[in-house]
Amino acid sequence: MTVETSTAAMIKASEVNKFFGDLHVLKDINFEVPRGQVVVVLGPSGSGKSTLCRAINRLEPVNSGVIHVDGKELPKEGKALAALRADVGMVFQSFNLFAHKTIVDNVMLAPLKVRKQKKPEARESAMQLLERVGIADQSEKYPAQLSGGQQQRAAIARALAMRPKVMMFDEPTSALDPEMVQEVLDVMTNLAKEGMTMFVVTHEMGFARRAAHRVMFMADGEIVEDTTPDDFFTNPKSDRAKDFLSKILTH
Amino acid sequence: MRIGRVLRTSAVVAAASLALAACGDDGGNGGEAGGEEGGVAEKSCEGGGDASVTIGTKFDQPGLGQKTPEGMDGFDIAVACYIAKQIHGDDVNVEWKEAPSAERENLLERGDVDMVVATYTINDERKQKIDFAGPYLLAHQDLLVRADYEEIKSEEDLKDASLKLCSVTGSTSAQNVKDDFAPNADLVEYGGYSECMTGLQNEAVDAVTTDNSILAGFASAEQYKDKFKLMNFNLSDEPYGVGIKKGETELRDQINAAIEKMVADGDWQKFFDTHLGPSGFKADTPTITEK
Amino acid sequence: MVDDLAFLFDKYNVVAAFWVTVQLAVLSAIGSLIWGTALAAMRVSPVPIMRGFAAVYINAVRNTPLTVILVGSSLGLWQTLGVTLAGERATEVNFRLAILGLVAYTSCFVCESLRSGINTVHVGQAEAARALGLNFGQVLGRIVLPQAFRSVIGPLASVLIALTKNTTIAAAISVAEAAALMKTMVENEAHLLFLVTVIFAFGFVFLTLPTGLILGWVSKKVAVKR
Ligand SMILES: Nc1ncnc2c1ncn2[C@@H]1O[C@H](COP(=O)(O)OP(=O)(O)OP(=O)(O)O)[C@@H](O)[C@H]1O
Ligand SMILES: [Mg+2]
Repeated sequence: MTVETSTAAMIKASEVNKFFGDLHVLKDINFEVPRGQVVVVLGPSGSGKSTLCRAINRLEPVNSGVIHVDGKELPKEGKALAALRADVGMVFQSFNLFAHKTIVDNVMLAPLKVRKQKKPEARESAMQLLERVGIADQSEKYPAQLSGGQQQRAAIARALAMRPKVMMFDEPTSALDPEMVQEVLDVMTNLAKEGMTMFVVTHEMGFARRAAHRVMFMADGEIVEDTTPDDFFTNPKSDRAKDFLSKILTH
Repeated sequence: MRIGRVLRTSAVVAAASLALAACGDDGGNGGEAGGEEGGVAEKSCEGGGDASVTIGTKFDQPGLGQKTPEGMDGFDIAVACYIAKQIHGDDVNVEWKEAPSAERENLLERGDVDMVVATYTINDERKQKIDFAGPYLLAHQDLLVRADYEEIKSEEDLKDASLKLCSVTGSTSAQNVKDDFAPNADLVEYGGYSECMTGLQNEAVDAVTTDNSILAGFASAEQYKDKFKLMNFNLSDEPYGVGIKKGETELRDQINAAIEKMVADGDWQKFFDTHLGPSGFKADTPTITEK
Repeated sequence: MVDDLAFLFDKYNVVAAFWVTVQLAVLSAIGSLIWGTALAAMRVSPVPIMRGFAAVYINAVRNTPLTVILVGSSLGLWQTLGVTLAGERATEVNFRLAILGLVAYTSCFVCESLRSGINTVHVGQAEAARALGLNFGQVLGRIVLPQAFRSVIGPLASVLIALTKNTTIAAAISVAEAAALMKTMVENEAHLLFLVTVIFAFGFVFLTLPTGLILGWVSKKVAVKR
């Protein structure tokens, strides 16, 4: 399956390399994510998935190569970088909700401080988003008072409050108890249906099959396979992908 | 000039801080053995005889009682030495013990020292706890100013509110300024007179005020020679006595006799001229009152 | 004993002296919190010059005895360089210099407490904030410091108590606070030395004990649940 890019791609990585000391974590990474596409990134632990995800909004600077978001090269630091990050939503494995603020304040903070929205306006859209992820009744609680699934849904609402152009997810369900995984995946599936551009690192094969347009398989810092979910699951080409799938599917 | 000032100031800052640190140490062991800080207490006028006497004095008062690498030095030291020799013979061993102002009564009451010769003004409050012999010097509160300073001519001029005076925090002299002769003056109170002396040199203050004997001691120091002058005002009477344990009348009579002899045979004047004279300070010979 | 107490309180204005101590402590505490927070911000900032400045400042000032700082500011800044901080009378100048010196010194300890507080804040908190597009100042001011402060109220109370006791050193540069009055009383009433000491010891306990208790309570109230 191919989604044609009419204008510039939402994400474009060219010849990206990243080292942690001597460790070569990202090796000559090249790919494009067109608007509206949902990409799932798979791969064994330590293959560089998180690093790639974090490189896209420069939480992790790269050593060489260029990353473009919505046609613009990633700025180095300062105002321009902050502005770019405001347009790229990010959801973390460990939620990272602001521990000293209530749920609704978590969601309102960036719209108020970065987008300079008025308070009533910010609160109203925050409540709408919380409604949408199904935790409007938890809005006045602190993060520690919520279950993991609720916290991750709040984190998604917080990211969406900035009306991002693209959403990055780094293993959003890995820290959750099994019974809470589905409620988060449902929110993500709905988002995909609404046409959000998504870059999702996950081990949830069901989500990959159902919601993804494309699967990128990473191993040892390289993108080894880049194809449709169907093709990847039924007809993996590389040995490493076969090996990975056999381990996952025998579970 | 500027550099000289800065160096001088730094030296005083360092010294003042060390002095304060030393005070802290004294507090730690109850001021019990201030003199033993450097090991054994200093022994000037050490005769090698059997008789020994412990005398409390100031260790940090230039011209009066000061501990130097060469031994104890100053007018109080000379007087104390003379008295000890008169009472116990020329070969007496004197052991010096530091007697900070606030500790003097305690040292005597506990019997840590046999007598205190330490710029010790005779007054009634103190006499409730201890006895005095003497006085051996009649000091007065006075002002020390820069040699070329002409703003103050008489005691009347001290009423001026723009006058900047300097003294030591909480001292009787500082209280006299506030309560008595210059209530409107801008009084700076430092931890020690050294800080006041730099202020005087830097022209941050107009005058340093305390007992003329103390001022004379500072002004007689080598580095200050000819830079300052005493106003020779008589702002208070400060008769310096020898403190002894209450009820030791025999010792008191012996000390008084020694002081009278010291004055009569000219030694008193000799001590005075050596230690306090260079500043132009004059004082009458003392008359014994504590009989 | 009671007569002596009445005599001392009648003759000396102990309350006024402690009032000066309170003023010194409160003004210096406010200044130290502000400057200490600024130093902490510099220490964690991405700008190497700022980090370097803060590190050098803290190591130089923290390791200098407070007496040297206070006497140095009075003798150096005022006497030698003529800095008056807009004070007219010498006593005024020295009061302000004392606050300046206390702030310069205490802020080092505020900074170091805060920095240990910042270390207890999970890195994910700052990352999430940066990922939302908040700038360095906002990340620090809105996310990291509020959490850091809550976790170091206990240590900050200790810093505040130490500051209150450190104000006594201002007596060395002509500030008429409690220790200065104590010196006067000791000079005049050496026979009541013990009682005078007790009065001032009690006075300081009276000032510092509530500080510790109240801040301990506040610390529990605002603790961040993780
Ligand atoms: N900050 C860092 N410093 C040094 N090495 C790091 C750092 N972050 C990651 N690494 C190393 O880089 C490699 C890639 O890490 P990364 O977190 O991107 O892998 P991953 O594919 O996300 O793995 P997982 O599935 O376990 O999350 C690993 O070997 C990891 O140990
Ligand atoms: Mg990862």
